[in-house]
Amino acid sequence: MSRSAGMAPAGSGEKVLSLLQGSGGEFVSGAQISRSLQISRSAVWKQINTLRELGYRISAEPSKGYRLESSPDSLLSPQIRQGLKSGVIGRRIVSLQEAGSTNTVAFRLAEEGGEEGTVVVADSQSGGKGRLGRVWVSPPGVNLYCSVILRPPIQPMSAPQLTFLSVVALARAIEQSTGLTPRIKWPNDILVNGKKVAGLLNEMSAETDKVNFVILGIGVNLNMTLDQFPSDLRHPATSLFLESGVTVRRTDFARCLLQELDGIYATFLREGYGPVRGEWLQRSRLAGERVTVSNDGNVTSGVVRGIDEYGALILEGEGGAMVQVVAGDVRLAGD
Amino acid sequence: MDIKDIKLLIKAVTETDITEFEMESGEERIYLKRGHEPQIVQYQAPAAPLYAPSVAPQAAAPSLSAAPAAAPAAAEEKGEKVSSPIVGTFYRAPAPDAAPFVEVGQVVEKGQVLCIVEAMKLMNEIEAEFKCRIVKICRENAEPVEYGDTLFVVEKL
Repeated sequence: MSRSAGMAPAGSGEKVLSLLQGSGGEFVSGAQISRSLQISRSAVWKQINTLRELGYRISAEPSKGYRLESSPDSLLSPQIRQGLKSGVIGRRIVSLQEAGSTNTVAFRLAEEGGEEGTVVVADSQSGGKGRLGRVWVSPPGVNLYCSVILRPPIQPMSAPQLTFLSVVALARAIEQSTGLTPRIKWPNDILVNGKKVAGLLNEMSAETDKVNFVILGIGVNLNMTLDQFPSDLRHPATSLFLESGVTVRRTDFARCLLQELDGIYATFLREGYGPVRGEWLQRSRLAGERVTVSNDGNVTSGVVRGIDEYGALILEGEGGAMVQVVAGDVRLAGD
Repeated sequence: MDIKDIKLLIKAVTETDITEFEMESGEERIYLKRGHEPQIVQYQAPAAPLYAPSVAPQAAAPSLSAAPAAAPAAAEEKGEKVSSPIVGTFYRAPAPDAAPFVEVGQVVEKGQVLCIVEAMKLMNEIEAEFKCRIVKICRENAEPVEYGDTLFVVEKL
């Protein structure tokens, strides 16, 4: 059973809302809404009250009608879509009050034929997915948890490139929304002042020579406060609010992220991996840095020369030999 | 002997395991040799078996599988291979402390997850493409795998 039904305005509620949102802050008369939607005046009144229960502040004046004063920051599909400038990403948004994991929901939708650009967002996750069974802490009301369905016309071998694409889009969105300058840690951790603010986990369904779909999973700590972090985290973590001191409006952040994803994905389809790789390298600030990579007790060190077409980190070791690193924890030599 | 007889002869030889055939009658001498004899390539150059199977023409295949030296390999190759579509790390279980997705001997349904191959935080769940029994698990948990590496041998059911 979906818990989204009680949260998102459905049917004529959604239509009433979009009329109010489309009025540019002006009053819309009840008669006008009634005429546009072919519903009775009392039905309009009922929908207005339902919207109010959902957290929309709507003022009513007898001679003028209704005016939308403010919307709840509750990640509803119509609110995210309002003003969304995007071609593919977000053309359908599924908004849930709670999901086990948005990745799991998106994966199932994709298996059922869900189109490219479909986005699943949830207010909270009861089982936010991390790597290898780890959990992404996902309390309600404060953060963004979303998953995006892509169906890129590429070989499965090249699909790891999308890992770099999604983290670059997220870095852009964080920079635009907060003014903070995040740093990307290879391959796709994102750090603000050295602490982790987001978790990205991608899942693929593929055949030998064809990608069926890829799910980009993105969890961002927007307004989480210190007391909401568990004490046994593997890495120091933070939220954008804790680092900037400013509350981030979730709906605005979601819209910004989807737009950035849309833009960089269009570039990727048009020009390939090159621009993604270039921006990733710039935002990682790793080029030319001396790093050590530890992986299960094996330590490799060298100077970062770039990432290859599959995302492997290229290190120049002693004597100029080039080494490709495909897994491990990267640290700057000075840290 | 005219061309028709030679064709018949070639056909007759091809239907057996014979790789070389010589015949003399009167003024005529017929000598037939089939394929590139890949097992000889392997004996002479064991370090370079890579190109032998892929370059050897199809006609050579029957003689290879019929050769006693190749027989154990042929038995092992019985069944279908499930190979990795990406370069990454092979995981037999969804989490380090969880039970493996499958074990040898287990019968799995079409669409059931066999393993995960992870590359750059992209998790690729490899599913059974048909109902099958797991004959062999070819890689260890958390081992790096290359594109095209065989991960499982399965028997189609």
